[in-house]
Amino acid sequence: MISYKNIHKAFDIPVLTGVDLTVETGEMFALFGPSGTGKSVLMKTTLSLVVPDLGDVEVDGLSVYEGPSSNLEKIRRKIGYVFQHAALFDSLNVYENVSMGLPEDEISRLTTAELSRRVWETLEIVNLEPREILSKLPSELSGGMKKRVGIARAIVGRPEILLWDEPTTGLDPINTAAVERLIKRLSTELEVTSLLVTHDVEGGLQMCDRVAMLSGGTLRFVGTPQEFKDSPDTVVRAFVDRAAAIAALDMAVV
Amino acid sequence: MIRPVEGWFAKVGRSYRVTLEHAGALGMLSWDTLVSIATLKVRLKDILTQLHIMGVQSLPIVFVTATLAGIVTSQQGGYQLISSSPQYILGTLVVQSVVLELAPLLTAIVLVGRIGARITAELGTMVVSEQIDAFKSLGRDPISIIAAPRIIAGVLTMPLLVGFANVIGINAGMLMADFDIGLGRETFLYGARLNWHSWDLFYGFAKSVVFGLFIPVISVHMGLRTRGGAEGVGLQTTKAVMFMILSILVIDALFPPLLLQ
Repeated sequence: MISYKNIHKAFDIPVLTGVDLTVETGEMFALFGPSGTGKSVLMKTTLSLVVPDLGDVEVDGLSVYEGPSSNLEKIRRKIGYVFQHAALFDSLNVYENVSMGLPEDEISRLTTAELSRRVWETLEIVNLEPREILSKLPSELSGGMKKRVGIARAIVGRPEILLWDEPTTGLDPINTAAVERLIKRLSTELEVTSLLVTHDVEGGLQMCDRVAMLSGGTLRFVGTPQEFKDSPDTVVRAFVDRAAAIAALDMAVV
Repeated sequence: MIRPVEGWFAKVGRSYRVTLEHAGALGMLSWDTLVSIATLKVRLKDILTQLHIMGVQSLPIVFVTATLAGIVTSQQGGYQLISSSPQYILGTLVVQSVVLELAPLLTAIVLVGRIGARITAELGTMVVSEQIDAFKSLGRDPISIIAAPRIIAGVLTMPLLVGFANVIGINAGMLMADFDIGLGRETFLYGARLNWHSWDLFYGFAKSVVFGLFIPVISVHMGLRTRGGAEGVGLQTTKAVMFMILSILVIDALFPPLLLQ
């Protein structure tokens, strides 16, 4: 379970102004909102990649900011983070990138053969052909492949929680659909808690158990996908309508 | 009337705040690097890679710079001294200039352009593409992986490069003295030995160690503070180069009162 408690964050101007949100264990949760409303910022506070000005985050009862520093290390082991643009390490090949997803002590425990098998299996889980890409550098991969390698790196350590930061940004509609199927399948097969930040409202509504919407620095809505679609709130309605129009345009392009 | 004064005070206040922020962050970075080294978190392979990039790959440009420095010093010294002083003084002038000032300073300036700018741009790109965040999310310490090997390599490489520049610069100056004013090798070396102090060599190397520390520390610090996209990386790299050059010149100016009294 992830609990965000009264999170405040400002970068010259306030971005988050007192956000309280709980993502239950085993749940698949989507966070929507217009650009610049702090969705990714909120997600990054989970791993202290962005430190809030005020407030705390708890992961399975462990406090990130008010507990001992060892909490953060334990929390990082529990969480796999999929970055918006994959954030693969440029100088490392696919094999090295994916194996970096394992904790250092685990890498030193595994034999070379075991480590290779682990990386190989993980790449197969994300529908990549290991033989073809293991030795390739990120610059030699397509956008969709980079995303999958980024996902492989996030799940290779068998995390209990997956944080997905705009996983379909920059992908064409066909790759978007493929990555969304992958997210749904992995969340179910690996039995993880998933928090998904996305612009793709249609995809998020289809995949997730609950959704929330950030607007003006606070949570505007928290509920089920159906409640979101039926919300009488004018801001939520306007957002849903605009998202539907963009999705229709995407489909027309395809 | 009050507004310009207010604005001036605000500007001074901001400058002090920014300076203190940089000083604090540089201190923290140096401390974190020391902790990484002490706790053996830095991989030898990473240090060797950086030694190769900073040291071996810098040899050609340091060779060219030192050669030209030696030649120009010899030519200008010869021009100035030929009618007023004994010719062997040119040996003193070239050796002292190269060892005390030109080799450490010019090598440092070369490394700012070749290594410092590269480190800032590389780390800046890693920041804006979230690779630094990725390291942290995976429980890895970016200081141990990225900063420490570069800083260690800088401190180890600079004195070696300065030693190389000393040899090249002095030999180039000696050859030019022979070619330009017909000053023989023996006379040149006589002049060099006449005013030689072993302390001068230590002085030059001490400078090089300090420069070798400051260049990677500042470039890593500036790289990790990059914000924005490609434009941010370019802007931060420019700022880093200015910051490094100014720091080197200030440190260079502090050395004579501290170590040449």
